[in-house]
Amino acid sequence: MTTSNPTLAIPGQLLGSTSKYQPGPGTHIHNHNVHASLMGTVHIAQPAKAPGPVKRLTKITPAPAPAVLPTISVTVPTRSAGSDHAGQKKREVLPEVGNVVLCRVIRITPRQAVVAILVCGDTVLEAEWQGLIRVQDVRATEKDRVKIYESFRPGDIVRAEVISLGDQANYYLSTARNELGVILATSEAGNAMHPVSWKEYRDPETGLSELRKVARPY
Amino acid sequence: MTTERPLVLPGDTIPPHLIPSSTTKPLRLGPGLRHLPPSDIIPVVAGQLITNHQKNSMWVEYNNNRYLPTPGDLIIAQIHRSGPDFYYCSLSPYTPHATLPHLSFESATKKTRPQLQPGSIVYARVVLANKHMDPEVECVSQSTGKSDGLGELKGGMVFDVSLQFARRLLMAKSREEGKVEVLEALGAEGLAFEIAVGRNGRVWVGGEDPKAVVVVGRALKETDEGRLGVEEQRKLVRRLVKGMK
Repeated sequence: MTTSNPTLAIPGQLLGSTSKYQPGPGTHIHNHNVHASLMGTVHIAQPAKAPGPVKRLTKITPAPAPAVLPTISVTVPTRSAGSDHAGQKKREVLPEVGNVVLCRVIRITPRQAVVAILVCGDTVLEAEWQGLIRVQDVRATEKDRVKIYESFRPGDIVRAEVISLGDQANYYLSTARNELGVILATSEAGNAMHPVSWKEYRDPETGLSELRKVARPY
Repeated sequence: MTTERPLVLPGDTIPPHLIPSSTTKPLRLGPGLRHLPPSDIIPVVAGQLITNHQKNSMWVEYNNNRYLPTPGDLIIAQIHRSGPDFYYCSLSPYTPHATLPHLSFESATKKTRPQLQPGSIVYARVVLANKHMDPEVECVSQSTGKSDGLGELKGGMVFDVSLQFARRLLMAKSREEGKVEVLEALGAEGLAFEIAVGRNGRVWVGGEDPKAVVVVGRALKETDEGRLGVEEQRKLVRRLVKGMK
């Protein structure tokens, strides 16, 4: 057990106990200990001043609230000093619950659509994360009568919202709002289509329409 | 009314006098034809071009051995295994399995549904088939809730035939249009059997007497492979029945 605070950390390295530190970005908790998740430098942020001593000696006070503990975090240093944006350190953007993301449909099955998340908010992601849109999360109304084949097709670009970080393989996404759904679709003939209503896209060249769950254009 | 049925090859141009023109009904294109906007109709397979002026439709009649599921087709499927909510059954070898929901049988509830073993044969209808997903089949009609002859086929034997022969057997006027008289001839000889024809190139023959089942199966296979005409089919049937006795 290290008694002094380490200045450099590698993933998995023990940093301290949860009774001494609060986990910040770049760390995680395992067995009541704070471990590093990234390889980088360790920073400890001291909290705001602790409240003054309790006036009444007979009052039982709980252990120090979590806000009182210092926050320990691990940050990865920037690659080159030349591309320094006002001293800000570049961090990888990950989709969080509630973010609106753009994704491409990879595969459809009767119960879910598998998508690759490409853009989170305004940032284009460096790696493609896989997501799932379950059949009950496609629409807000009549969830049991949804047909995936009439909502998405492989190759569509979909605007969706992250509802859960999910498991090891997938994020869970939802398109159950008016402004979520397919924003770019290609027809069977290979042409880009224009939206006609909330459930229909039309190919301008052949005149045929195809069913999708269409996102309301801004 | 003379019906010209020319042989077309992929990419041929179709003579305009063959395209049925009707101002009231839209022109319907069946299998084997592709519409390239604005006004080109091109065959994509080799076969006979058939036009129906009453229904204002045209298609190419061709023979192949690879079945492509289409919604509404009646097919014979073999159960491969049972999943949580579905049976996985095969419509044709070396293709992804189709799903058959456990409850899609006549008057089936969770407690009173038929328990099908792997290897059993069902007569089903294709519900969903597209190039992005595995096909789905059902054994009950969605709207009426009745099975209409769909469901498990017990006993008997399944024979493989070419797709075109299966289509000819399923025609309404199979004797005149399809030139298939072998089944009627077998019945006239006194054989007792049941038959179910699947569009995926499989025919199920059932009956009390296994010899009758085998004779029917052989007759179908030899008619299909030998491309026998009506008279030859009758001769074949007489020969087989005589050999059976």
